Amino acid sequence: MILLSATLAEPQHFSPWERALFAGLVLLSITLFWRRFSIVLRKILQSKKDADFRLFPLGRRMWDFFWEVLCQAKVIRQRPLPGIAHAFVFWAFCAFALVTLNHCAVGLGIGFLSPSSLAGRAYSYIAATFAVACAAGILGLFVRRFLVRPRWLGQKLSWESGFIALLIFVLMATYLAAFFVTDASPAARALWWLHTLALLTFLPVIPHTKHLHLLLSPATVFLSRGGFSHIPPLAGDEDFGLVAGTDLTRLVSLQAYSCVECGRCTEHCPAANTGKLLNPKEIVLGLRGYLNEYGPSSAEPLIGKYNPQEAPFQCTTCGACEFQCPVGIEHLPILVGLRRGAVNTGAWESDYGSRLFLALERGSNALGLPAGDRDKFIQKQGLPIFDGSQEYCLWLGCMGGYDPKGREIVADFARVMNYLGASYGVLRKEKCTGDPVRRLGNDLLFQQLAEANLEILSQSKVKRIVTICPHCVRTIQEDWSEFGTPPPVEHHSEFLARYVNQLPRVKEQEKIVYHDPCYLGRYRNVYDQPRTVVAHAGELIEAPRSHERSFCCGAGGGLAFLGEEKGERVSHVRAAELAATGASTVGTACPFCNSMFRDAFAATGEAAPQLLDIAQLTARALPNDAG
Amino acid sequence: MKIIVAIKQVPERDAPIHIDAGGKWIEEANIQWAMNESDAYALEEALQLKEKHGGEVVVLSAGPERAGTTIREALAKGADRAIHIACDDLGDRDALGVARLLAAAIKPENPDLLLTGLQSDDLGYGQTGVILAELLGLPHASLILHVEKTDAGLTVKRELEEGWFQDIELPIPAVLSMQSGGSKLRYATLMGIKRARTKEVRTLSAAELAAPVASSALLERIALPQKQKSTQILSGTVKETAATLVEKLKFEARIL
Repeated sequence: MILLSATLAEPQHFSPWERALFAGLVLLSITLFWRRFSIVLRKILQSKKDADFRLFPLGRRMWDFFWEVLCQAKVIRQRPLPGIAHAFVFWAFCAFALVTLNHCAVGLGIGFLSPSSLAGRAYSYIAATFAVACAAGILGLFVRRFLVRPRWLGQKLSWESGFIALLIFVLMATYLAAFFVTDASPAARALWWLHTLALLTFLPVIPHTKHLHLLLSPATVFLSRGGFSHIPPLAGDEDFGLVAGTDLTRLVSLQAYSCVECGRCTEHCPAANTGKLLNPKEIVLGLRGYLNEYGPSSAEPLIGKYNPQEAPFQCTTCGACEFQCPVGIEHLPILVGLRRGAVNTGAWESDYGSRLFLALERGSNALGLPAGDRDKFIQKQGLPIFDGSQEYCLWLGCMGGYDPKGREIVADFARVMNYLGASYGVLRKEKCTGDPVRRLGNDLLFQQLAEANLEILSQSKVKRIVTICPHCVRTIQEDWSEFGTPPPVEHHSEFLARYVNQLPRVKEQEKIVYHDPCYLGRYRNVYDQPRTVVAHAGELIEAPRSHERSFCCGAGGGLAFLGEEKGERVSHVRAAELAATGASTVGTACPFCNSMFRDAFAATGEAAPQLLDIAQLTARALPNDAG
Repeated sequence: MKIIVAIKQVPERDAPIHIDAGGKWIEEANIQWAMNESDAYALEEALQLKEKHGGEVVVLSAGPERAGTTIREALAKGADRAIHIACDDLGDRDALGVARLLAAAIKPENPDLLLTGLQSDDLGYGQTGVILAELLGLPHASLILHVEKTDAGLTVKRELEEGWFQDIELPIPAVLSMQSGGSKLRYATLMGIKRARTKEVRTLSAAELAAPVASSALLERIALPQKQKSTQILSGTVKETAATLVEKLKFEARIL
């Protein structure tokens, strides 16, 4: 009740000298702010236009803005405690927009929100509530950064963050303290000036530090490309990906300047967590460094001083970084863009990479095996050939057609389809979807493979595809659409989940830990269907990192074909995590994950859990004569 | 150094092969085409020599219109220009006939070095390079893995049998038939393909080269290799069967 009777003190009767001083300081602050901010803005606007950018439809953009910026949904959901603290600060800033405007107006003698009026009083109480939350929030964030010090915020303590925290705290404290003094008291005047100084210091600090995200990230979120890992088409004959400054688009530059250095990307990055050079945050900051030094019109290569070539080629394209980023940075178009720049110009030299590219230039599959091997497998397994009359085309993919373990998965999935009486067939001929070369940035080869496959599909009159490989699903559905209209495609988990009630159950209960493949989860948003299938086969248990936070197996982005890794193997880390759950079986839904874990368990040599694809988990309950 | 690389377009490694109604060639529908493998290595060697010593790499190919894609691929990988001998009756010409065509196109170019693949993956005569050298009156070496330019001419590494190699010195100009696997092939790049669009491809007709068509050898018919499984059961004591097995592996299968 004491508080409700309190009134916010507002100093009255500023002398002309005071007003002049205030106006001068405001001018100085704005000038200092603009001098830096205009440079940043110019660098962004001078960057190349995004050829495929479409502002409309606005619905998705407005929702993203509402949900991720105004509601701070991702900020809170992915890191609840610091997220809430940040949201308090953000919401207080929104509430303080009016307060700050009135504060400055008071200094010029034209205050419009009298604290003694009903509206003014009500608003000041609302603002005060936010101020308390904000002060607590910023204190919490300060403690986290300087005392708890999570690893991903970096080794070096950021003094600028401390300074900003102090300014914000002073802003809130001076506002709240004004409730306890009277208008005419010298204390009120002192608080007003202190608040003013904090405010006018804060403004120019924004564009000079990562706090630029205050201004840019709402725009970044609103303008983002949307989709997940959307790789923009190359524009024109001179576009080979991100080669030099002239290739940086407005979105890329905007994103580079929006990074708030929170390190969520790094925290979840499989490369950064296993001793590789790649750190997604440093990639983005590298581009910012480049823009600061060379600008968007420079022909200086992007790979060089600020970003070593090795780093982007260590990316598994798992997309954890892009998923986590709270300020709308799309890491994958950047990482793949840097790879495109290096591969499309021939600057990337890698024995393994060349071998993969040549295997796909001259042959049909990423494993470099003769196409006849696939025919033999189809024959031996007695898989029906697709003739245009069946409902489903069962796409084998390189793993399903050539890899021994992948073939077992296909064989078991075919048994399940047979049991269900599904109408399906496999193509006489298929080529790699181009997933590994798409992610490695070989646009020439990817286009050739996509077009050749689209031609095969249209000639065969395929209406619907089902496949055991999430990489094939993603590449067919999303990436091929740049060159034609692929038929609808689904992953076998989606198929199996639909018919799960018609499938027999195994009697014994065993603990099965399900591993979310990146290309099924984050890329396709399919989390529940494979779990339905696993739960049908045993007791589903979760890994510590699951769903959107699942940790990669290490195979994606073409890395399955690039040989040895530096540091620890990503697959070993994840395999150990899955084994530690105590599950007797690891359930997978991607032949690449399966192959990585098979090798990881074999290498660690310990009593490893059994490794089965969801198709195999389903098929083992079938009567022996089925299929 | 001006290097000419003779390349041939052949069916892709995984292409489904069916013999056509005439029995002398394969059905070309549904076949994808690629650069002959040892020609790809010849091109790679030429590009590496150019990168080290400067000069020009010219690719030369005789074949129908479809050979244009393989020529573009060679240009994309770094060749400077190309000569395409438009010729739809390649199958009717024997190795001598093809070599005469190529030689007629090569003569006015006066190259320092002429590289060919060891043999084609389709017909596999393995003669074109040798005959070319004879027609052009140039020294020749075959089964070459690696070429080094020296002040006097060339030092080449030649593959012999049973893991033996031979280093030979040759004067230039010379003709070399390149073996596969000597170096690492480069991959084609988007930039290479785009740059290749503006590179010169000169098309010559077989007629204007005035090379005699008359063949000294006639192709009667072609056949797919017969697949056969022949199982032999060895009997006797373990010692005896082991000895027979070794003997058979050594002298019949010739894999020991």
